[in-house]
Amino acid sequence: MAEYIQALRLRWQDWQLAFFSETVEEWKKFFWLMAAFLAFYFLPITSTDATRALAGGLALLQEYARKHVLTCLVPAFFIAGGIAVYVKKDSILQLLGPMAKKYIAYPVAAISGGLLAVCSCTILPLFAGIYKRGAGIGPAAAFLFSGPAVNVTAIILTSSVLGFDFALGRLFFAMTIAILAGIVMMLLFRDHDRKNGAGFASGANGEAEYSTAAVIAFFILQLVILVVFGLGIAQGLKYAIAGIALLSLVVLVLHKFSSEDNRRWIAETWDLSKKIMPYLFIGIFAAGAIGEVLPEDWVTATVGGNSLAANAIASVSGALMYFATLTEVPIIQKLMQLGMGRGPAMTLFLTGNALSIPSMMVLFKLMGAKQAMTYILTVVVLSIIAGLLWGSLTL
Amino acid sequence: MKIQIFGPGCVNCKTLEQRARRAAEELGVKAEFEKVTEIDAMIEAGIVRTPGLAIDGKLVSQGRVNTVAEIKTMLQQFSTDAR
Repeated sequence: MAEYIQALRLRWQDWQLAFFSETVEEWKKFFWLMAAFLAFYFLPITSTDATRALAGGLALLQEYARKHVLTCLVPAFFIAGGIAVYVKKDSILQLLGPMAKKYIAYPVAAISGGLLAVCSCTILPLFAGIYKRGAGIGPAAAFLFSGPAVNVTAIILTSSVLGFDFALGRLFFAMTIAILAGIVMMLLFRDHDRKNGAGFASGANGEAEYSTAAVIAFFILQLVILVVFGLGIAQGLKYAIAGIALLSLVVLVLHKFSSEDNRRWIAETWDLSKKIMPYLFIGIFAAGAIGEVLPEDWVTATVGGNSLAANAIASVSGALMYFATLTEVPIIQKLMQLGMGRGPAMTLFLTGNALSIPSMMVLFKLMGAKQAMTYILTVVVLSIIAGLLWGSLTL
Repeated sequence: MKIQIFGPGCVNCKTLEQRARRAAEELGVKAEFEKVTEIDAMIEAGIVRTPGLAIDGKLVSQGRVNTVAEIKTMLQQFSTDAR
């Protein structure tokens, strides 16, 4: 009898082990199947709202494919890839080291966000490095804001979709807020900076050492290609200028840069496109779909005009929401078509990129609750002010 | 020999790890690989730009995906220094 019970117990344990080790994965699959089933069961697929949303999503995708992919996104990715490979980042970083002069460190941090961190996964290590071993909390905070907000591809897409003035405004406010947020953090947490002494590790070898003129020419030629498509000039002239610029670019790259780096440039560009495009297309579809079903009066009531409340709502929701890189552009575009004011739209651009719940969690871990909360509040408030200014400027 | 790769896990650090493994293999070096993904540990090592590469605890490169040939030279330098 005792043996029998023993055997039974062992079997029970075996079964438990098998069940619990494999079930997590299985439950996930079950959950997704269940979600799909429930969605198809209950969603009013055949209702006019659903078909309109579907059509709206597809229409916006077509708009982007026709207007923005070849003439804006593709060149932008090449530029971002070029920044990752040919720009000498060590010399920029020197300006953010522990010995850096403060009045240089802040503007450098605000501008260099877009140059040092093309890919979002490099932002946090860089921030932590500047914070703990470099110029300190102020420039680190400035960089933390400018890293995602002063993003070359995002600015270029904004310009293509919402107009040059909007892109310029976005760039200006992003840099200004970066510097101001940095100064606020420095004033409030002065004590932090005394600990820095170690500095960045040197011994980083093999940075591409190209003449500054060649690198600048490289970017100007690409900007020419980018800008010329947005100009309202004759079709033939357009292609002629773009063609000449492209040809000069190829010659420049082959003569001035090493073939190893050129290969890295292409690889980097492809890598960025691969990472960003799928999410962007999902975001465009979602924006198009939402644009059809979201009631217009609801949008106007919450974020229409340029009131303090509208800007505050835009700022806080932008801080909480997570936008995959570039997806903020189609979403804000649609919201503006539904009546979102220009001020709140700017606010949403500013906090939408810089803050999200996942990034806040990392901030809490790296800086501690007090500093993280201060940074988040500062950014939210400064973005509201920027939105109010921008909205009143263009009303 | 101990080879560390620093990076939060994007494509660059993965490529660097692959290349480092190939370099070690081609040289016939017995190496122990470690992937460092914790940001604090990266800062400790002085990394600011990912990906970073360290051999036997010494940082040899950061902010760059080195070629297999480059990594081989670095590995060779280290093994001659050790002798």
